Amino acid sequence: MELEENSPKQNYTEAEKQTIFHGEFMPHINSMYNFAYRLTLDADDAKDLLQDTYLKAYRFIESFQKGTNAKAWLFRILKNSFINDYRKKSKEPSKVDYQEVESYYNSEEVDRQITPDLRVEALKDMIGDEISNALNALDVDFRTVIILCDLEGFKYEEMAKILDIPIGTVRSRLHRARNLLKEKLSEYAKQMGYKTA
Amino acid sequence: MSNPDPSKMKQDCPEKNECLKMLQVILDGEATPEQKEHFLKNHLEECMPCYKNYHLEVAIRQLLKTKCCQDAPQELVDDIKTKVINNLAS
Repeated sequence: MELEENSPKQNYTEAEKQTIFHGEFMPHINSMYNFAYRLTLDADDAKDLLQDTYLKAYRFIESFQKGTNAKAWLFRILKNSFINDYRKKSKEPSKVDYQEVESYYNSEEVDRQITPDLRVEALKDMIGDEISNALNALDVDFRTVIILCDLEGFKYEEMAKILDIPIGTVRSRLHRARNLLKEKLSEYAKQMGYKTA
Repeated sequence: MSNPDPSKMKQDCPEKNECLKMLQVILDGEATPEQKEHFLKNHLEECMPCYKNYHLEVAIRQLLKTKCCQDAPQELVDDIKTKVINNLAS
């Protein structure tokens, strides 16, 4: 997973590099684009971020060990590039102190408040951009875990490595993220005329 | 999962929040076979709030997958390939 860190360097021929790039990296380009787009919430920034990430992946290809999880390796590079290069200049509100957000949402108090009574029937009527807007409206750290888990199917352990956080934090952050998403969806359901008890 | 009879189900769950956490772990494919067996067979079919939560969780995941995945523009994909090939040549 490591990039520029102490992972054993591989020695690939130019042909091998090409094979890895086209055979193992390019197949994930749609997932990677979606991740870039959901992080930056801007088509142009997403393009730049994706391009930077793939060029970086190529430049550091010898830190990638054949046969290991290329998708997780790529996602980690993209996430680090986003934090280092884009988060500062993005239109996100000034960087939220994550600890603060997390301890707030981890309190039992919030658990009691967030019990959205959302119904499956209401979801079935959300045929437009409701879910996409609800996801985009979440704080980027909560948005990220939902993308990695529910859209991309990463395991908790892989997510922990991609995000550099403990597995316990992955689990609790996911739980909070899903509660917040349901809260947003309940608002839409209410606007659509569904009664929430 | 079979179709449980709603009239025989509990209408309230004292462990609703803990159950929801377990439910998510199961749906994420991270639960042990014992946890899965216990929860899905022993609890879900007799507890209405958890049964509803289960279906809600599944529906949200389906909705996310169908509505929140966009492919990369082909132009961009071609561009990236070209840049890397040029890089290889240099």
